[in-house]
Amino acid sequence: MSRKFKVVIALLVGLAAVGLVVAGPVGAKVEDDTIVFGAALSFTGKYSTNGKHTKNGYDLVVKRINETGGVKVGDKSYKIKIKYYDDESTPARAGQLADRLIKQDGIKFILGPYGSGPTKGMAPITEKYKIPMVEGNGASRSLFNKGYRYLFAVLSTSEQYLAEAIAVAAEQAKKAGKDPSSIKVAIAVENDPFSMDIRAGVLEDAERYGMKVIIDDKLPKELTDMTATLTKVKALKPDVLVVSGHSKGATLAIRQTAQMKVDVPILAITHCEAADVVGKFGANADYTLCATQWAPTMTYKDRWFVSSGEYAKTFEKEYGYVPPYQAAESSAAVLVWVDALERANSFDTEKLRDTLAATKLETFYGWVDFDDTGKNIAKPMVLRQIQKGKYVPVAPAKFAAGKVIYPRPKWSER
Amino acid sequence: MKTKGRNFVLYGSILLISLVAPLVLPAYGTQLAFLWVMVVFALTWDIVGGQMGYNSFGNVVFFGIGMYVTAVIQRNMHYDIEEYVHVAGRVDTLASGEYLAGLFLGMGVGAVVAVVIAVILGFCILGMGMRGQYFGICTLGLGVAAGELANGWEYIGAGSGLVTPVFPEGLGVRGAFFYYIFFILAIILYMTLKWLYSGRFGLAVNAIRDDEDKAEAMGIHTTRYKIVAWCISAFFLSLVGGGAGHLIGFIDPTEVAFAGATFGVWMILMAILGGKGTLWGPVIGAVIFHITQELFWTYLFGWQRVALGALIVGIVVFFPQGIMGWVRERWPERFGHRVEEKGVFSVSEGGGA
Repeated sequence: MSRKFKVVIALLVGLAAVGLVVAGPVGAKVEDDTIVFGAALSFTGKYSTNGKHTKNGYDLVVKRINETGGVKVGDKSYKIKIKYYDDESTPARAGQLADRLIKQDGIKFILGPYGSGPTKGMAPITEKYKIPMVEGNGASRSLFNKGYRYLFAVLSTSEQYLAEAIAVAAEQAKKAGKDPSSIKVAIAVENDPFSMDIRAGVLEDAERYGMKVIIDDKLPKELTDMTATLTKVKALKPDVLVVSGHSKGATLAIRQTAQMKVDVPILAITHCEAADVVGKFGANADYTLCATQWAPTMTYKDRWFVSSGEYAKTFEKEYGYVPPYQAAESSAAVLVWVDALERANSFDTEKLRDTLAATKLETFYGWVDFDDTGKNIAKPMVLRQIQKGKYVPVAPAKFAAGKVIYPRPKWSER
Repeated sequence: MKTKGRNFVLYGSILLISLVAPLVLPAYGTQLAFLWVMVVFALTWDIVGGQMGYNSFGNVVFFGIGMYVTAVIQRNMHYDIEEYVHVAGRVDTLASGEYLAGLFLGMGVGAVVAVVIAVILGFCILGMGMRGQYFGICTLGLGVAAGELANGWEYIGAGSGLVTPVFPEGLGVRGAFFYYIFFILAIILYMTLKWLYSGRFGLAVNAIRDDEDKAEAMGIHTTRYKIVAWCISAFFLSLVGGGAGHLIGFIDPTEVAFAGATFGVWMILMAILGGKGTLWGPVIGAVIFHITQELFWTYLFGWQRVALGALIVGIVVFFPQGIMGWVRERWPERFGHRVEEKGVFSVSEGGGA
């Protein structure tokens, strides 16, 4: 009886002791001449593709900064590095890892994970410990109505993603002499925090123009099929079809609209670049409208990468593919941190928070200026259309390099 | 007498270690808190899955219910729902008192809701006489269905999930706060089970496991016992769910609350690892599983899941009865399974068997 308990206790205590001693390789916020950032990214799980884009974006800046003299704080020049964990694409894990980065690894500078879900998991933790987090991949607007003071996002929030697509539809209706309210909209989004916000944004825009939403489907998180929605689209003939579901959703939308020969005047989606729809589907991806946070054709400048175009070149040389905006916005997040560290000239997190809040910075990715809630209000979304396998910016007017082709040619005429 | 004294010392030392752990290791507060969540997971699963022999894959339903009810009640008590769910200005942080009131009331109501649902489901599934793999598949379906329902219900945030309020300043260290809640919960659960297993309830559910038809023929109200067992499971899972939702901070319908692929599987795994059908087995299983998992996450970056899978295969191959089962097979006399020289023959003392 008691021997049994002895075994039990020996096991418990032994394991606990070993575990705890070994579990936390204690790092620090600043080791000698290196500033350590912390990030939990989706290396495995459903966001792993975009997790990789995010990591590449982070790593490229780390490399560039370290090559060009590091970050100056005080009189000293620091190198930077990032401590990574794998959040397995789930918010539950992301939150625990935020805790771990801050409490056990002693990290005081957090970079965001990929995706709104994991970001929602991390934000309450960074907020609790008053450790600033600069993120480039959590676009859900519900992140910015919780009163978080330590969360800063360099990207445009999700309701802006496809607003331009709805505007294009309205414009085309007017051109054709019709009232925008005659437009019929079909929405199919993945049931996850990010895409649900995309939907909310589209619904609001549609309502503003008085458009009718005739299909409003939520797709399961295990996104493998949307034929049911597309069958409805074929029957009801909407003027606009909006699809959002990260890279999987983009791939699915292009593949199945082509397979089923779904004719719809406007197909607008997110994550075209990240899913590489042009590479995968060639001409079948043509005429799709893609919402993008950033594109290599933009003309922003900064002192680290010179320009948007140069950034794209450097990235492609390093990783062998054109940077999708997920990588660019991740890079921008690190740049914002670097800028704040240099301006604050201190490692004090309170001071850094205030400095971050006051950021006004032009990066290769665009202007960064945070409002009270921590979201970037200085950078617009861009809408690009795939034309003959090329991404052509079509809206807003300021960035447009070509005209939108409307309507999408029918499959029978291609 | 002597044994009792030793037991007292050993229980005492476990208690003491557990009580001071978050104070000694403040940086590990959250992970330690999760350790107790895991212990509750394994113990509650074992009531139905181990002691009663009904493999349930859907217990995570009650965990999710507790989580949602607690979060929703706290939200409704202090916030305008429209404001909280949709875009609006800033949401004020809660004062300690408000936070606690919402949390505990929510946990209480959540537990009641979970038990009511367990009774209804119990009558539908267990009352219909569903057994064996049919019961397993049915509960698996329950877990998936609950996730999908939550996924589509706007009032509780649907696919966007639900964010719990920021932990107030006044309540001290967040990790430690939840640590003690879960610790107390685990102790109460352990005591309850120890008491239940040593009495008629334990004998009845074990009889159901060994031969349900015979048990029924002997006059045991099998359905009643099965439902009660499930309700106890639901009650504690819901309580721990209410707390865990606040510890995690963000409730996603399918990945946090009704996370069948992670929490749902882990609870079964831990019970089996430690030895199902024993009282200490699930506890040991949970401790080992949690620590191994944390270690894998740190040292086998990107391969943690593979390593965990290999570990599970290893356990099933080498310890098919779990650790406690293995220990019992190796030293049966310590469990009173053999008449010793002194002539002491005790069955299941200390909840061993």
